[in-house]
Amino acid sequence: MRKSIVLILALALTLAFGGSAFAAAAGGDDTYNKATAALYEKAKQEGAVVAYTVWDVEHIVAILDAFSKRFPGIKTSYWQGRNPEIVTRVVTEFQAGKDTVDVILSDNAPPVIRAAGAIQPYETVQKNFLVIHDPTMPIISLQIQALAYNTKKLKPADLPKNWEDIANPKYKGNVALDDPMRAGPLSSQLAGLKEMWKDDARFTRFVKGLKALGVPVHKSTSAMFRLVVSGEYSIAEPALLHDTMEEKHEKGSPIDIVKSAPPVVFPRYAGIYAKAAHPNAGKLLAEWLISPEGQATLDKVGREASRKGFESKTSIENAYGKGTKPIPVNDKGFMEDPKKWLDTNVKPLWEG
Amino acid sequence: MRSFTTGRLGAAGGFAFDNYVRVLRDPQILPMLQNSLIYAAGSAILGTSIGAMLAWIVARTNTPGKTLVELMPLYPILMPPVMKNIAWVLLLSPKSGILNNMLQQSLGIDHPVFNAFSLPAMIWVFGLTCVPLGYLFLLPVFLSFDPSLEESAYIAGSRPVRTLLQITFPLAVPAFLSAFVLNFLRALRSFETPVLQGSPGGINVFVSKVYDSMSVEYNPGLATAYSGVLIILSVLALIAYVRSTRFSERYATITGKGYRVKMIDIGGWKYVTFLAVFAYFLVGIAIPFIVLIVTSLIPYYDYDTFMKFPSNINFSNYHRVLHHPSFVSGLYNSLALSVVIAAVTVFAGIIMAFTIYRTKVYGSKVFEFIGTIPLAFPPLVLSLGLIIAVIGTPLYNTLWALGLGLFVAYFPYALRNASGAIVNIHKELDEAAWVHGARWRHVFFKVTLPLLKPTVAGALFYIFVEAIRNIDVAVLLVAPGMEYGPVTLFEYFRVGQWAEAAAGGVIYLIILILAVTLAKFVFKIKLSL
Repeated sequence: MRKSIVLILALALTLAFGGSAFAAAAGGDDTYNKATAALYEKAKQEGAVVAYTVWDVEHIVAILDAFSKRFPGIKTSYWQGRNPEIVTRVVTEFQAGKDTVDVILSDNAPPVIRAAGAIQPYETVQKNFLVIHDPTMPIISLQIQALAYNTKKLKPADLPKNWEDIANPKYKGNVALDDPMRAGPLSSQLAGLKEMWKDDARFTRFVKGLKALGVPVHKSTSAMFRLVVSGEYSIAEPALLHDTMEEKHEKGSPIDIVKSAPPVVFPRYAGIYAKAAHPNAGKLLAEWLISPEGQATLDKVGREASRKGFESKTSIENAYGKGTKPIPVNDKGFMEDPKKWLDTNVKPLWEG
Repeated sequence: MRSFTTGRLGAAGGFAFDNYVRVLRDPQILPMLQNSLIYAAGSAILGTSIGAMLAWIVARTNTPGKTLVELMPLYPILMPPVMKNIAWVLLLSPKSGILNNMLQQSLGIDHPVFNAFSLPAMIWVFGLTCVPLGYLFLLPVFLSFDPSLEESAYIAGSRPVRTLLQITFPLAVPAFLSAFVLNFLRALRSFETPVLQGSPGGINVFVSKVYDSMSVEYNPGLATAYSGVLIILSVLALIAYVRSTRFSERYATITGKGYRVKMIDIGGWKYVTFLAVFAYFLVGIAIPFIVLIVTSLIPYYDYDTFMKFPSNINFSNYHRVLHHPSFVSGLYNSLALSVVIAAVTVFAGIIMAFTIYRTKVYGSKVFEFIGTIPLAFPPLVLSLGLIIAVIGTPLYNTLWALGLGLFVAYFPYALRNASGAIVNIHKELDEAAWVHGARWRHVFFKVTLPLLKPTVAGALFYIFVEAIRNIDVAVLLVAPGMEYGPVTLFEYFRVGQWAEAAAGGVIYLIILILAVTLAKFVFKIKLSL
């Protein structure tokens, strides 16, 4: 009897402290707490979650370890590949009726997979906290593009003031340009700018201006960024904010961002696989990633937060200052079929 | 079949020729093919020729420092092509490259002498990647060379250089062409050099069409149709090879006559040949390796920071790599798998080559083509084909599927290697066994296989080294939760973190160099007779 009372007391204390810690971690959001409590119950019965991701192995391991600590009893595993590999694997498995994956953590791949019918819609309960929201796939992080430059090569007075300035002929030979005809950062940026400007003449001028620079285009953003750090080029059109901040603050590289050029933000999703064997565990992982605790875990590995007002070294507020309005990439046509969008909107200007 | 279906991944599509029509109507194909052919042929000729020359120096000449000369051509094989690319980009970049800056500062040359982002630089770097195949394919031929053929030439008054060009090298034509064809196809479908060195110089090659079909359009049917062009080129290259070696008896260097391989005294030239081997060792591994070591030990690369080394030494990249969550377990898995794959693939390649060249099995020549075709597919297309093949079987998401994928990817190397070597063994040796009533298995195990010993050793070594770093074919076949070494070590290359990649590459190279040196000296493993 005494043993039972001690056990019940211990359980009550655990629940009380665990619960308060849970609430604190989630920023005290009741909707989140209720939703995750329900999902956790079901996820425990499922017992596992399998993620396919584009993120570095080190990052996904750290993220899944933190998730496992928060929600014991759910075995986590992952597979890592690049976006074309993720799309190929998921859609091929979908067509073959396989249920290996539960959740896809990536940027470009989930919208394409969704277009193939292999994503089950899931709207996060934390949508009000997000910088960008998609009602069918939780946006857990952001890919933030920055206009980066080599501080040894360009003086502040010579910097472009905004994205359009890059097309100024004086930067010819200094700009490292991503290939606008591939599904990469520059094409996403063009999709974002076109939607924001709603001005075809301005868009045409910009694309033709970039073309007129006559510089070769790069097919690897990361290799292109290395060449800007090394001084081979002075300006990266574009760079990723987390790369730039890591190089600047942690390695002391001569690299910085042009703050007057607003960041371009592209969603990083947690897409729930249509035939997931552990859909609740997948949803729980997605919800947790958006929670303050999940966002802090993402920030710890250098990934940008998608939660409004979340303070971190790679947050827009921290890098650009308060009140900065990012340029979101929201064009569904571009995200689901980049080839078609590029053929319609960029190819005639770029190759014409 | 996939190339005859229209539409993107996941979209329903009927049987149609649309993808092929698109390929044929693509106006960019011809200029891209032209770049591809120059790049692939240039790299293959450069690499195979240097490899052949090194093999001849090691096997047939009295070049001093025998142990060193035997080892020096082996080490560059261990360096993955992408590491060579990064090192040479750092060395030859027009503005930030080490060599151009050194020339500028020491000689006052104000314009860049070298350009990493040019066709010659692409050929140079991929050519260096092609050397090991040329070396490993030609070494067994020169090691088993019947000296009476050269002696006859000397007796007839031929000078050493003429003998070399008219007797020695022509007899090595099958092995040379085998290595050339493989290197040509590897260059045609290679992607790292075109991405890292071609695109920044405005040089676009054909294979980027295949990748764009997959990564922009997500259309494997179109990617396969574009790969069809590579298949046609592969078949043409193989037809040329088969035609040029159709009178295989002409190239037999291993005959029924007893002989000892004779070293040629090349007089004072032996110092030149030593310098040639040493020069290859420098450009093939030493210089790029030093560049990568320094890059891995400095916070970031630019010329000024590079030149400040060692005052700015920093071990953070090594700390990060060594603390990678799957470093040890991943390496163990890939080591074990690569050993098995190398053994199985080489053995299967020899059996196939034996069937083609030594038996009268109807239609066996076709396998010369079929066995080499996987090399024509860029890795992502090949791995998609493999995943479709195994997804409905219990093999999917197991180590067996990964093993099967690696087998298919490396079988062309094993087959080409064995084909080139078998052609050099005169049929009279088999025929003697047949006449005495031996069955095919006796001929194979008692006659052919022992004579192929050096070929087997070279191919095992090469496929092991290639398989242990394979990621492009393996990636789709690795099961979730399976820790696989290349994913760990080469992830940094894929995500463009060059300093961490250099640290990972240096650790990987040190492990392999130690393994090779140990194998050579402790277990007395030789890549020779």
